[in-house]
Amino acid sequence: MHNIMPVIYGLNSLEKSMVSIIPEAVIILFAFIVLFLTFFEKIAKGKNSYYLSLIGIAFSILYVVMLSGRNLTGFYGSVVFNGYDVFLFIAILLSGFLTVLVSKDYIENFDVPYPEYYSIILFGISAMMFLVSSNNLIMVFISLEFMSICAYILTGYIRGNTRSTEAALKYLILGTFASAFLIFGSVFIYAAVGHLNLNSIHSYLESISYVKHGSAPVISGMGEYLSIGLLLFTVGLAFKMSLFPFHAWTPDAYDGAPTPITSFMATGIKVAAFAIFLRIYILIYNFNVINFNDILWVLAVLSMTFGNIAAILSSNIKRLLAYSSIAQAGYILVGIIGGGFYGYSGTLFYLFAYIFMTAGAFAVVIIFENSDIISLDIKKYSGVGYKYPFISAAMAFFMLSLAGIPVTGGFMGKFYVFSAAVKSGYYWLVFIALLNSAFAAYYYIKIIVKMYMPDKEDSSVSYIAPEGKDFGIVNGNISEGIMLAVIICLFFTLIMGVYPQLFINFANYSAASLCKI
Amino acid sequence: MAFFMKYILTILIFFPAVAVLILLPINKKNEGLLRNLATFLSLAEFIASYYLFIYFKPDTYKFQFIEKFNWIPSFGASYFLGIDGVSLFLILLTTLLTFVSLLSSYRYIKDHIKEFVILMLLLETFMIGTFAALDVLLFYVFWEFMLIPMYFIIGMWGTGKRIYSAVKFFLYTLAGSLIMLFGIIYIFIIHYEQTGNFTFNLMRLYNTNIPVGLQILLFIALFLGFAIKVPIFPFHTWLPDAHTEAPTAGSVILAGVLLKFGIYGFFRFAIPLLPNAALILAPYIVVIGVIGILYGAFVSIVQKDLKRLVAFSSVSHMGFIMVGLFALTAVSINGAVYQLLNHGIDTGALFLFVGMIYERMHTRQIKDLGGIAKKAPILTVLFLTSVLASVGLPGLNGFIGEFLILIGSFRSYPVLTIIATSGIIFAAVYLLWMFQRVMFQDPHDQIAPYDHHLEFFDDMNLREIITVLPLIILMFLMGFYPAPFLDRIGPSVLHFLTMLNHHKILYNAIKIKTGLSNA
Repeated sequence: MHNIMPVIYGLNSLEKSMVSIIPEAVIILFAFIVLFLTFFEKIAKGKNSYYLSLIGIAFSILYVVMLSGRNLTGFYGSVVFNGYDVFLFIAILLSGFLTVLVSKDYIENFDVPYPEYYSIILFGISAMMFLVSSNNLIMVFISLEFMSICAYILTGYIRGNTRSTEAALKYLILGTFASAFLIFGSVFIYAAVGHLNLNSIHSYLESISYVKHGSAPVISGMGEYLSIGLLLFTVGLAFKMSLFPFHAWTPDAYDGAPTPITSFMATGIKVAAFAIFLRIYILIYNFNVINFNDILWVLAVLSMTFGNIAAILSSNIKRLLAYSSIAQAGYILVGIIGGGFYGYSGTLFYLFAYIFMTAGAFAVVIIFENSDIISLDIKKYSGVGYKYPFISAAMAFFMLSLAGIPVTGGFMGKFYVFSAAVKSGYYWLVFIALLNSAFAAYYYIKIIVKMYMPDKEDSSVSYIAPEGKDFGIVNGNISEGIMLAVIICLFFTLIMGVYPQLFINFANYSAASLCKI
Repeated sequence: MAFFMKYILTILIFFPAVAVLILLPINKKNEGLLRNLATFLSLAEFIASYYLFIYFKPDTYKFQFIEKFNWIPSFGASYFLGIDGVSLFLILLTTLLTFVSLLSSYRYIKDHIKEFVILMLLLETFMIGTFAALDVLLFYVFWEFMLIPMYFIIGMWGTGKRIYSAVKFFLYTLAGSLIMLFGIIYIFIIHYEQTGNFTFNLMRLYNTNIPVGLQILLFIALFLGFAIKVPIFPFHTWLPDAHTEAPTAGSVILAGVLLKFGIYGFFRFAIPLLPNAALILAPYIVVIGVIGILYGAFVSIVQKDLKRLVAFSSVSHMGFIMVGLFALTAVSINGAVYQLLNHGIDTGALFLFVGMIYERMHTRQIKDLGGIAKKAPILTVLFLTSVLASVGLPGLNGFIGEFLILIGSFRSYPVLTIIATSGIIFAAVYLLWMFQRVMFQDPHDQIAPYDHHLEFFDDMNLREIITVLPLIILMFLMGFYPAPFLDRIGPSVLHFLTMLNHHKILYNAIKIKTGLSNA
């Protein structure tokens, strides 16, 4: 009899497993390096940690590109790396890159240690990547918790700021509840099917002929257990995706967190949650144990409508963007409901576009926050269009993209997911979503109105443009990093609107490796 | 030159955008240079667009100057451009009016000149693109982005309730466009289900067979998008606000070009894509059009604000054009397209004159105006010419268009046409009465502050004469010698009707076969 131990624990197997997580490992390595900088007081100050984080992310992107095209499985099938992960890793890494770029000036305004800050961001990025690539219910839970803990810490990172602390506490308590639901759901799923690995669950369900538009379950009670499990699991993930009935934390956490972290939560965490939801959806939910599309339909409509109504009523720009992100989550869900290769590819495309328009909008908010003269109240944006021409034009462009006006990535994304849903026959959903878009345009436009069309009386912010430097930045305390972030976002938003084919190909490649089970 | 002719549409579309890039680095304090350069570039654009007219072959209905490149193969969307007789003149109208409105704004627009000229040129790019696009997605992209520059123009340089008007204009048209987008996506998917190909190519989408019941629903979706833009009577409420508060240049473009997109959309997209629905719904739309004519006329009569009066007269005139288009006879559609151009020229000119009066008197209230004729003879003569053209005096362009529309429609809808004809009489009432009050009324019963303005009322200067001169010349030219225009419009209109009749015959055949018909 062969001794199977060397096969399992053999160098070969471990090596293969390690290869599948290289991009994450690079990020973790750099996270530790940045963390260890704190041991040395001299180099801990200054920009070292900032640059090291950027380099780490760049390296990780390099490894993702080098590994692209391969199908890797590691750690006994609990981690996979394929085309789907390539797309989402790049999305998450870019979101992290933008977060680090916009953090520097902001975080230096507060008396908080920065190497740890960057290190936690890097840990958060790696957790998101693990979440995306996890293929096992336990792995999903662990990486989700890892990601959430990073987010809790970062939300409350500004010590002594009551809003920040309050937000972190709310987020922690509600987040823990959601995680409990998630793990509870996993337990039910495991009880029903006896597998933890997603692929095994998939093939098991297939083998007992749980075909689509379901026949009766073979084992009695299994259907109920599976349904309960999947429902609870949905609740746990919907919390992270900030879909309507599970959104309650979003406005407070987004508002209280340091703005770069708000941007990180709105882009990275949301994308990672959607990515893992999409993977599980295709592997398990698609068996139609109960009609999940109807549930998602309701969630999508409620999220869009609630998000838009609440955004119209809010006068704080961060809260407005938080509610708008709830509405955007509703639009993204339309693509998943639409389904099919076309719909999944559309969802991925929309996620990619969403990252840049949201991160761009937050970068502009951070610029205005840094320059001290403008608070988060939308009223204070009055007339900034003439004072900061470039940044305001960028902000207007991001707002138009979020509203879904053509020549922006937002329009192409919306078009993509909506046409996918029409293709699958969800006419009313698309109709409601389009009406919502028209409705939502009002509050996006409201910001542009404030920036460019000040009422004559409250234009005290100075109507006369001062002698500007490049890009019209006046105080000079806006670093190149944040400008770079705005330009990257602008570039991608524009390109995705004008010539989206490149990104569609990328999304298609990714969706193809997702659908090929 | 060969290159220029081959890609002339692309060059025409993107030349203003390139002009924007030229203007961007110029310091915003250098206002004279910005203005002159932008005006000069728009003039160059107009001259270049004249080549379209020269090289356009008038004897065919086929699309000309075609350019086609893959754009988004995944959706089957292509960069597909081409023009026929209808879009040819609309593009020429766009380039002319952009030049005219830039030239007209030297006195009116005093601050943020750089932003203004950039937005105007950007708007031109998207307007020409919308007229030239033969790919539905491309059309939609141009169509919807066009809102943005116009929204800024109204909101940044408007008067009075400018923000309210700009937001109302934006949201109203956006809502219509999004419902239209729903229809477009639906047609796109139906075509996919029938052929297995994604395509946005208009020529192929024309061949989609859609069940009649569904066609009617989709037609309503497209109708909302286009009707809001026209605007047809119950959807017109954004128009008076936007027109009244917009700066002169904005009003000229809005009335002269933007309103044309609705009709153009019906002509190019809604009716040929959904022919059976169009045939079924045409009588109702004609009724709405007639209501619009009368409503616009009645409301114009009682307006106190000069600009609002001209704006409501647009509602009335667009009603005529809708009647002509949906009467669906060759003569009436020719007349509708011709009237489309006339409306752009006449109403554009009227807004220019209203703007000139406002610049001098600082009021648009008719009761505060009067006695201008004595002070400004040139203005009076030219203003009167435009008023008469708009009323439809024989010898000027408005007459030809309205005459063709009424003759053509009479065959299909005699009673409605007779009612519509009264609209011309009312037009004479509100326009001439307005002219009489504004120009000749005794100025002595005025409120004091405007007396002062009237005393210093200067006549039109050379720049202003040059601004309106092309429009005045066109009024006479198109009034006396419409042949060069109608020759080029005719074949496209005939082809449009041929396609429609083809569907009519098919539809009737199906009806007989399935026993739907009583006959």
